[in-house]
Amino acid sequence: MAPDPNRTAGGASGSGTTKEGKDDASAKKKVENEDLSDEDLALKQQLELYVERVQDPDPGLQKVALESMRQEIRTSTSSMTSVPKPLKFLRPHYGTLKAYYETMSESDLKKYLADILSVLALTMSAEGERESLKYRLLGSDGDIGSWGHEYVRNLAGEIAQEYAKRQSEEAPIDDLMELVQQIVAFHMKHNAEPEAVDLLMEVEDLDMLIEHVDKTNFKRTCLYLTSSARYLPGPDDLLVLDIAYMIYLKFEEYPNALQIALYLDNLQYVRQVFTSCDDLLRKKQFCYMLARHGITFELDEMVADDDEREVMQDIINNSKLSEGYLTLARDIEVMEPKSPEDIYKAHLLDGRASAGASVDSARQNLAATFVNAFVNAGFGQDKLMTVATDSASGGSSGNWLFKNKEHGKTSAAASLGMILLWDVDAGLSQIDKYFHINDTHVNVGALLGVGIVNCGIKNDCDPAMALLGDYTDKEDSSLRIGAIMGLGIAYAGSQNEQLRYKLAPILNDAKTSLDVVAFTAISLGLIYVGSCNEEVAQAIIFALMDRSEAELGEPLTRLLPLGLGLLYLGKQESVEATAEVSKTFHEKIRKYCDMTLLSCAYAGTGNVLKVQNLLGHCSQHLDKGETHQGPAVIGIAMVAMAEELGLEMAIRSLEHLLQYGEQNIRRAVPLALGLLCISNPKVNVMDTLSRLSHDTDSEVAMAAVISLGLIGAGTNNARIAGMLRNLSSYYYKDTSLLFCVRIAQGLVHLGKGLLTLNPYHSDRFLLSPTALAGLVTMLHACLDMKAIVLGKYHYVLYFLVLAMQPRMLLTVDESLKPLSVPVRVGQAVDVVGQAGRPKTITGFQTHSTPVLLAAGDRAELATEKYIPLSPILEGFVILKENPDYRED
Amino acid sequence: MGQGTPGGLNRGGLPGDRKQDGSGKKDKKFEPAAPPARVGRKQRKQKGPEAAARLPTVTPLTKCKLRLLKLERIKDYLLMEEEFVANQERLKPQEEKAEEDRSKVDDLRGSPMSVGNLEELIDENHAIVSSSVGPEYYVGILSFVDKDQLEPGCAILMHNKVLSVVGLLQDEVDPMVSVMKVEKAPLESYADIGGLDAQIQEIKEAVELPLTHPELYEDIGIKPPKGVILYGEPGTGKTLLAKAVANSTSATFLRVVGSELIQKYLGDGPKLVRELFRVADDLSPSIVFIDEIDAVGTKRYDAHSGGEREIQRTMLELLNQLDGFDSRGDVKVILATNRIESLDPALLRPGRIDRKIEFPLPDIKTRRRIFQIHTSRMTLADDVNLEEFVMTKDEFSGADIKAICTEAGLLALRERRMKVTHQDFKKAKDKVMFKKKEGVPEGLYM
Repeated sequence: MAPDPNRTAGGASGSGTTKEGKDDASAKKKVENEDLSDEDLALKQQLELYVERVQDPDPGLQKVALESMRQEIRTSTSSMTSVPKPLKFLRPHYGTLKAYYETMSESDLKKYLADILSVLALTMSAEGERESLKYRLLGSDGDIGSWGHEYVRNLAGEIAQEYAKRQSEEAPIDDLMELVQQIVAFHMKHNAEPEAVDLLMEVEDLDMLIEHVDKTNFKRTCLYLTSSARYLPGPDDLLVLDIAYMIYLKFEEYPNALQIALYLDNLQYVRQVFTSCDDLLRKKQFCYMLARHGITFELDEMVADDDEREVMQDIINNSKLSEGYLTLARDIEVMEPKSPEDIYKAHLLDGRASAGASVDSARQNLAATFVNAFVNAGFGQDKLMTVATDSASGGSSGNWLFKNKEHGKTSAAASLGMILLWDVDAGLSQIDKYFHINDTHVNVGALLGVGIVNCGIKNDCDPAMALLGDYTDKEDSSLRIGAIMGLGIAYAGSQNEQLRYKLAPILNDAKTSLDVVAFTAISLGLIYVGSCNEEVAQAIIFALMDRSEAELGEPLTRLLPLGLGLLYLGKQESVEATAEVSKTFHEKIRKYCDMTLLSCAYAGTGNVLKVQNLLGHCSQHLDKGETHQGPAVIGIAMVAMAEELGLEMAIRSLEHLLQYGEQNIRRAVPLALGLLCISNPKVNVMDTLSRLSHDTDSEVAMAAVISLGLIGAGTNNARIAGMLRNLSSYYYKDTSLLFCVRIAQGLVHLGKGLLTLNPYHSDRFLLSPTALAGLVTMLHACLDMKAIVLGKYHYVLYFLVLAMQPRMLLTVDESLKPLSVPVRVGQAVDVVGQAGRPKTITGFQTHSTPVLLAAGDRAELATEKYIPLSPILEGFVILKENPDYRED
Repeated sequence: MGQGTPGGLNRGGLPGDRKQDGSGKKDKKFEPAAPPARVGRKQRKQKGPEAAARLPTVTPLTKCKLRLLKLERIKDYLLMEEEFVANQERLKPQEEKAEEDRSKVDDLRGSPMSVGNLEELIDENHAIVSSSVGPEYYVGILSFVDKDQLEPGCAILMHNKVLSVVGLLQDEVDPMVSVMKVEKAPLESYADIGGLDAQIQEIKEAVELPLTHPELYEDIGIKPPKGVILYGEPGTGKTLLAKAVANSTSATFLRVVGSELIQKYLGDGPKLVRELFRVADDLSPSIVFIDEIDAVGTKRYDAHSGGEREIQRTMLELLNQLDGFDSRGDVKVILATNRIESLDPALLRPGRIDRKIEFPLPDIKTRRRIFQIHTSRMTLADDVNLEEFVMTKDEFSGADIKAICTEAGLLALRERRMKVTHQDFKKAKDKVMFKKKEGVPEGLYM
């Protein structure tokens, strides 16, 4: 122990204070010093000496002292758990130095001292005083990074506070911005992109980001920006995405730029991407992306070469979708058609199912028709409908068609369209024969089938329009419905003017029956989905006002507000004017309309306030038998499905609704769950639905069963299939429920497991509006299962076709021929804001393309030989040979 | 209820046709039998009742605005839930209804209930049970019993007359394990440790920081260490450091001594280890401290007695728990031993125990600190020069120094002095060193 030297040091440092103060200080110091090791003591004395020297009148001495002090602070390393030693020892002198600083005259030295004070303030300054920033601004503006990361981080925090304060006082912020510039540059250089972005968001100057990003960090920056956008309140989210778009353009990462353009639904940006990229092959890739999103887009002069333009327009028009899908099917070897019995797998049950099958054979046959259509969707062959054409057994197909009764024949005929989905030429020629059968129901089915075949495909000859156009004005209302619904499905999202002129008058014709009006409204809604078209809105509004009170109580009326809502799908505030108008509706439909409009307009936004609003409506108890709570519940799912967190939290909220809600809410909850987890069988949701499928209320059970089908749609999930099998024997006497079980079974094996219903694609970033519209229409119809799906409008189930997409990754070479390459497929990992190059997938397996991608899966190329032209390996991806590749 | 059991018997007699009885009942205007929630024999154990109520995980772990926004989003949803539930409760209080239901259930259960053991589940509504008195019974399971939680071998409550299953006893935590939980934090803090700065820092980095600041590790892109082993000569402060960790952390602290893991009956030891880690996982974040690990963790060799083999099996279970198939999440392990060379190498491989922290005998500086700590509350005479002891060549451990101080104090006490003199210290030191060198007086054969 050698306490003597530091006692003198303590005395020296306290020389300016009074006698008692000195005693106190030295006594205290003595206690403190006892804990210190020798080196620490030496350091401490050294620092105290510097502090003393700084106050020396001689500028030379001052400078030396300041320099050495700065040296000490900079060179000190510390563990992450404690304050660096020099800072710790300088703490007691912070006040002294501050006081001395005030007395100093203006000079370089003063600035030097300010720098040091600024660093000291890092640990010393009281909360909210922002002294570190204050002295930084007074200081010498040296390199900001030289004081270490923690200092910069702290400074950034203080800037954010100061900015907010000055903003409210409307004080100038130029000096702050200069500092922000330095800090952002520092962060971007040191792998701290999130921090740079955060700071710029705080000071509302994201534009600055563009000059600081470079090749190494723009990807991470943009990833952070785009994933923040989901959680930022408007209009900040749009701003953030704009910046990301600009950065992507700057670094020629066009596919990502295109994604953002599509997310913003900004065709101007889409065009810009096309014009700024001059590589034809890449443009073809863009076309594939546009096609997947399902929007109508005319290339016109964006591509100079006529031949090339035709090829590209073909891609956008999805003409090759069927081909690609069949390639996938052949590769996976599932071309063999499946019959409904292959799906029911009754032999796995206790041998009673067959006995029960005879109860209501018409219902059963109808169910088999749907199962057959769903399972063999798009394959072009099956065992019920198409057999006759290629085997000699004559009228067996006709037989199946006529095994269905009346309106059942409609769905049966239409199912042929589903089987030949996307294959326009073959489809039309096969359906054609139904037009010649003298049976209205079959003709209706044929009309609908034509629409289904053309779903998502645009053909230059417009066969759907040519074939269906004449039927919209026929006398027979069922023929009209078939044609109108067919047109709606075929031209969904196209905003086709011609159709508007054709269909809009039907709405306002007082003589047309309610069902025709309802389907017309839906079809117009689908065609003009998300367009906010005034004329269509007017037409539907008038239709709603004109209908008598009795008609407003009909179950089908619910499709009218929905058609109106679809016009505003995802368009947020644009809906407000129409929402105002809806307040003038008859009270029977007013609230229903309100809820539908609200939920549609904010679908896929994740807007918490709207969820709150909808939940508020659900928490009321009704005694007048109003029906608006059903759409409100589905609305919660529509709004919350935007991002993973909201989705999971919404599932929790729905659980509460189940517990407290009354029957009309409980009936909608399974449907909402089905929408939230569509084609994504989460175990907890599966369990909930399985529980509800045995509910005492048969409508709840039905909705739960259908939802089991929806969450497993196209996954072939064995667990759901098993549950449904058990349900089929449990409900073998209840034909309605059995029908639902069958439909669900068909959905689970949708396209033999090659299809998905998920409207989200491209890494869950983009939402296809037509797909969502189709799903929502079907769900709204399911809100009144008994009257619509189990009644004579069962063909509303075909609205699901809008959401069907192959869940594949198909790689093609430069001449767009399928190309098989090895890829790794695994669970996607959220890598936002992670350091280094984290793995983007986990638990992967290596396959060769084409491959199937399940929900939450991501793929990456397992070979260096090719370069994908799109970073998102989903759907069609063009591969380019890697010029730098060397065979080992 | 009385008819329930024989009725069930008859129907159960129909081979494999229980569905029929479900719908048969329906015809007779009975409530349909609760259908199977899932098919399959062995029910997987639920991870506590909160499994459904668990909140989604939020990435990235780094502190950034995105994380803040995400957390706020979750908060918003929770607030909405709260609001909704509050609304509903106001409109339609559930409590009364629940109370009513509960009393109904209590009526059905009867009182007192007897405790039994579930031998076998026959179907969804029937089981074979046994009670401690002997015979096994085929009984019904009442509908309100959570069938997912039932599994063969669990403790159940039975109706006192008809013996049907009316509930199950859930608390399966081995009482041995619950004792291990440190309820009252020890008084020793980091300040009571002389020296050992490097060791403190290491243990903080390996054990405390991963629990409190996981984002630091995420930032750099590494996985935090899973556990540490403290080793060194006796009396160098291993246990003391563990106590300090327990004192400063807010995580659950479980402490075991290696010898506790050795049990009388075959299989009990490994079971205890399993229970220990299961509890640790349930209560995570948590720290498990196993003192004197050499009791179970010695190298494996051909064991001849059953007891030795049992000890080895206990260690194997420990190996599995440390880095086995199931990830342990937020459980950190601290082991302590003074014979690291005799431990099984598998126990110490990276991935199980990533950091080995040596506790050397104190050097001069540390010795001075330790002397200061121990003498700080003693009244010393002016002539005491601790430097003399600090500077000696003898190898003191921390415990030795404490012993010297205590001994010196005792000597002073014996002579009814109020101050401890230098002479006392000298005597005390000789005495302690004498004892330590096992009876050979110091300096005799040097």
